[in-house]
Amino acid sequence: MNEHLKPVYLEEKLDEIRADGHQDYRSKAVPTWCPGCGYYSMSEGFTMALNRLGIEPENTVVVSGIGCASRFPFFVNTYGFHTLHGRTLPVATGVKQANDALTVVAVGGDGDAFAIGGGHIPHAARRNVDITYLVFDNGIYGLTKGQASPTSALGFTTPTTPYDNCDQPLNPLMMLLSYKASWVGQAYAGRPHHLADMIAEAMAHRGFSYLHILSPCVTFDKTDMTYANLDVGVRDLTDDHDRTDLMAAVAQAEAKEAPALGVFFEETRPTLADAMAETIRRSGGQAA
Amino acid sequence: MKKNGNGTDIQIAICGSAGDGTIAAGDILKRAMSLQGYKVIAFDLYPAEIRGFGKCISRVRISSDQTYSLKPQSDILISLNDPHAIPHVGEVRDYGAVIYEDMPIARVPEGGHISAHVRPAQIPYGLSIRYISEQATSSARSRNIVVLGYLAGLLAIERDGFHQTIQEKFKTKAKAIAEQNIKAFDAGYNLARGVFRLDTVAIRPPRHAKSGGDAVMMTGNGAVVRAFLDAGIETYFGYPITPATSIMERLTVEMPKTGGRVLQTEDEISAIAATIGAGYAGARAATATSGPGLALMAEMLGLGVMAEVPSVIVVSQRGGPSTGLPTKTEQSDLNMAVFGGAGDAQRIVLAPTNVEGCYKCAGKAFEIAEKFQTPVIVLLDLYLSNRYETVIPPKRNPFAPKPQKALAALGGNGPYKRFAAKPDHISPRAIPGEEGRMHTVTGLEHNELGRPSDLPEVHMAMSHKRHEKLKGALKLRDLTLCKRFGDDGPVDVGILGWGSTFGEILEAMYAAQEEGIRCSAMKVVMLSPLPRDKVAAFCDDCREVLVPELNYEGQFASLISGELGRPVTRLSQVTGAPMRVEEILQEVRQLSAKARPKRRRKKQDMGDERASEAGLP
Amino acid sequence: MPAPRHHVIIGSGSAGFGAATTLRARDPDCRISLVTLSSLPFYNRYDLPRIFKGCHDWRDLLPIMPAKYDELGITLRRNSRVVDVDGKAQLVLFAHNERLHYDCLLVCAGGRGYLPEILADQRHLMHDFASFEAAMKVHDALPRRGTVIMLGGDMLGIDLALNLLETGYKVTLITTPQTFWPHRVDDDTHARLIAALEDKGVRVVGGSTPVAVEEGPPNGSARRVVLQDGTEIAGDVVMPFCGLVPAVEFMLSAGVDIERGLLVRPDLRTTGENIWAAGDVCQIWSDKEKEYKFYHGWRNVRYMGELAARNMTGSDEEFKAGKDRGIWLDDDNAIQSSFWEN
Repeated sequence: MNEHLKPVYLEEKLDEIRADGHQDYRSKAVPTWCPGCGYYSMSEGFTMALNRLGIEPENTVVVSGIGCASRFPFFVNTYGFHTLHGRTLPVATGVKQANDALTVVAVGGDGDAFAIGGGHIPHAARRNVDITYLVFDNGIYGLTKGQASPTSALGFTTPTTPYDNCDQPLNPLMMLLSYKASWVGQAYAGRPHHLADMIAEAMAHRGFSYLHILSPCVTFDKTDMTYANLDVGVRDLTDDHDRTDLMAAVAQAEAKEAPALGVFFEETRPTLADAMAETIRRSGGQAA
Repeated sequence: MKKNGNGTDIQIAICGSAGDGTIAAGDILKRAMSLQGYKVIAFDLYPAEIRGFGKCISRVRISSDQTYSLKPQSDILISLNDPHAIPHVGEVRDYGAVIYEDMPIARVPEGGHISAHVRPAQIPYGLSIRYISEQATSSARSRNIVVLGYLAGLLAIERDGFHQTIQEKFKTKAKAIAEQNIKAFDAGYNLARGVFRLDTVAIRPPRHAKSGGDAVMMTGNGAVVRAFLDAGIETYFGYPITPATSIMERLTVEMPKTGGRVLQTEDEISAIAATIGAGYAGARAATATSGPGLALMAEMLGLGVMAEVPSVIVVSQRGGPSTGLPTKTEQSDLNMAVFGGAGDAQRIVLAPTNVEGCYKCAGKAFEIAEKFQTPVIVLLDLYLSNRYETVIPPKRNPFAPKPQKALAALGGNGPYKRFAAKPDHISPRAIPGEEGRMHTVTGLEHNELGRPSDLPEVHMAMSHKRHEKLKGALKLRDLTLCKRFGDDGPVDVGILGWGSTFGEILEAMYAAQEEGIRCSAMKVVMLSPLPRDKVAAFCDDCREVLVPELNYEGQFASLISGELGRPVTRLSQVTGAPMRVEEILQEVRQLSAKARPKRRRKKQDMGDERASEAGLP
Repeated sequence: MPAPRHHVIIGSGSAGFGAATTLRARDPDCRISLVTLSSLPFYNRYDLPRIFKGCHDWRDLLPIMPAKYDELGITLRRNSRVVDVDGKAQLVLFAHNERLHYDCLLVCAGGRGYLPEILADQRHLMHDFASFEAAMKVHDALPRRGTVIMLGGDMLGIDLALNLLETGYKVTLITTPQTFWPHRVDDDTHARLIAALEDKGVRVVGGSTPVAVEEGPPNGSARRVVLQDGTEIAGDVVMPFCGLVPAVEFMLSAGVDIERGLLVRPDLRTTGENIWAAGDVCQIWSDKEKEYKFYHGWRNVRYMGELAARNMTGSDEEFKAGKDRGIWLDDDNAIQSSFWEN
């Protein structure tokens, strides 16, 4: 049974939430997302993760691009940079290079990440910049009212594909695995607690963490990536899945029709900051 | 240049094929002469292709007084490769010298030897360069050093500076290499001492001998690097592009030594994005590119302006449009630097006119970016980037370090307003890490809190804020924004210029003055915001205003014309090479005739103004 | 349209220069290459003694300004040594490894100063006067009121000697069989000429051959010349003026007849096709005397050059030797010579 359909007792729940403290991470701004949007789960999960990891809001920077997902920085009580379409990762890299002590989280939608922003992902991944990249995949361009995106399914009807989408969708997980991102996971807005756990794990990972979040667009996609379809469509990664086995992860990622949730791949290797420190050491200099 | 008694002013061109050591020879020459106390300006031309035997020319101008341009005519041409050098024989003045190989090992086709092309009024000096090199070092590789020694011997220049420079140049190689090259140098030198001089190229002892020890030879790019390091640059992101690449390459070596971080990004968009991200996080961040890269950066620059985030962008212009002429100089990105990007995205643009100016502008750019919370573009061009000038580094670091003080506690004044209205329109800026001042900056129009807003009064107020705050830059005291040279008061012809062309403009102005023309020149360093009042005052003094620049559309002329509402005479050239002093002078003469058709011009008494006007930007 | 004829002239002395300007006047379209060892455009070597009268800028010696060569379309190839001529292929080969094709070749390479064999090794201690540079080196080497030791004293040397005396220097003349070359004088005339020279102030040393030239003693004069009889003559500069030897080495395999000089017909053609010669380098056939004769002196040399040029462009003139008055003393007991006439 879906978690968000379980009976909840309001007063107790409110007390629990207030005591928890993760509300402190939310800003006063009212989110502009449609009711039912999967991004609300993400927002909850994010604030819970920060709270759980004990990261101060003043030491957190959320960087976003353009799109519904990219409105996210306004809704949290951290530093934020709402940048340009597709340019989240390089800006995030810049922030991290300037001050490595900051926790930097990059957020974006599928269009922002894989259309215009696609060229930046391999480089952030291969450099292993220690940031967390949360991509909300709703297979559509919601903010501009419903055009097809690089992850839209074949045959999907949208204002820019009125005769059905003829383009093969990308497989983001396979891409990130081929870029050798050091942490690759997938979650689903319809499983908010699991999502919160995944966000926390992604942020805790030292290195470039990519979390792919399946998230229905309740306003513009009534047929494809809906809660109904995804609720039954998603599955968990098998218990014996070896996170350190890249090829196994690829095999799991390839089966897009039955998206798996969980950590696909994980490895520890030097980050960009480590590389910078090594360069400084080799030059005979001292880290500032 | 303005003649100040019997000074030295000679220019040597060395022409050869890639692999002949042409550029290395020019490098040794300029450093050796700089060491001895001369002022030197040098510019090298490289072949466009990477491989092959393309033409290299190294031109070095040696003078007693500082000068800011190369002469259109050289005094001496050295040929290390006749087919390449022959087209340049005409560049040597009458009674100048042409030095060449008189015993080539390979058969030369008819007319293929430079001796057939030396002009009747030029003096040929042939020597067996290869043979001498082989005698001295057992290889032909030191031909360039031999001929350099011959040049030094011919001009009777003291050897020490050369020996020192050669030692320095080869210090990372085996000791024997430096010694062999000194032997090769001396062989050429001794041969030349026995040659009877027939040319009229004269070199006199330097005015300030051995103060040369303080002077260094630096290119515009080198000055930018030096300035960045002195200003405490913390992060650099860049993408290779001619002619800015060497900035990144030098910084990758130097910055780590002081804990700085350099990253070569995947493209220019990423470079500027990371730079702005770093600026947002409070670091002194910079990037460097050329025209095509700036075009890619346009959107991000607009974000920097809108979000009021400091960043420094060095742009070295080259031939355009589009991929254009990557190895040729031009000044055609002014419009893009000043106006490029979506919407009313005015930012600060500085355009130095010489190498020392590159140092000052690039270093100050960080302070200015931080103070006015906006991108600062430092606009160079290929000529300035690659041209060597003698500069004397400052004794103390002239740049203020990054302000360390965090903002005072918020108190009970409500949430932090990142874009709070202020009389000078500059809002106190918190950076990530500061407690209690979390906020989001955005490319959307926003209110004082930084929250997106498209209300009419908000957009009007914020547009006003972003533009008005820049006017404070016009009050900067420790950077020359514009400067007038030449005759004071009303003049017949005023020359208004920017960037490296100002070197040629200044020389043309001095020449015009010597011809009795009342002439003045003004360089404008701050292109945006434009020091309108000072430029207008200058133009009001001039009956005719000439604007020479290396772009077809007369971009600066249009800017001035538009801002001041007065017509100017344009002199536009896009040859890929610096403007010629003579062409500017011709225009000045014509304009002067137009301004004063009947009055006889009398010679002016110049006095000794030159030294005090020596071009500090 | 056929390619314009290419005339190559080797030697830019009076003959070569005269030929070049004449060629241009007669054929406006032809190519003219004027080849010379010199670094400078043509100047009259007979003017060089002016250096001792304060003329130190070679530009003042030029009969035409350098720009004129461009106007005339004469390609000046200086610093160019010819090492060989291929008469069959009509090619001139330079020491700098370039070959130049000619349609017509005129050799006016003149002569080199002759030096007796016994003194050959000491050439480096002597000064010649064959070029502006050489002349300036003499000037710079001579101290005020310095002494020139002249060996031989051909007519070039005598002219220089008289100039030197006028400008306050001293001259010691050591006579040799080449004294007064190219004139052949009988003993009587010889004696009177020597007397005239001594009258002018030249110290004449005769009767013994110079056998060695040496560096002078330390703190003494720069040079000394040792005679066969053991006499030592001290001076500052030693200058050989022993006549000219035609410069023909590079013509040896050109396929032209050579005796001491290049042998030419009265129209100045050599025995090689399309090769002419003029000036000190050639010997002209004299039908009257049935022998090949040299004609020296500025006037002859210039005349030959111009004549050859006219013949190269269609004329068919023959060289007419003017009356050679030789060498004589005028009413003021000054030496006069047809060699010096212009």
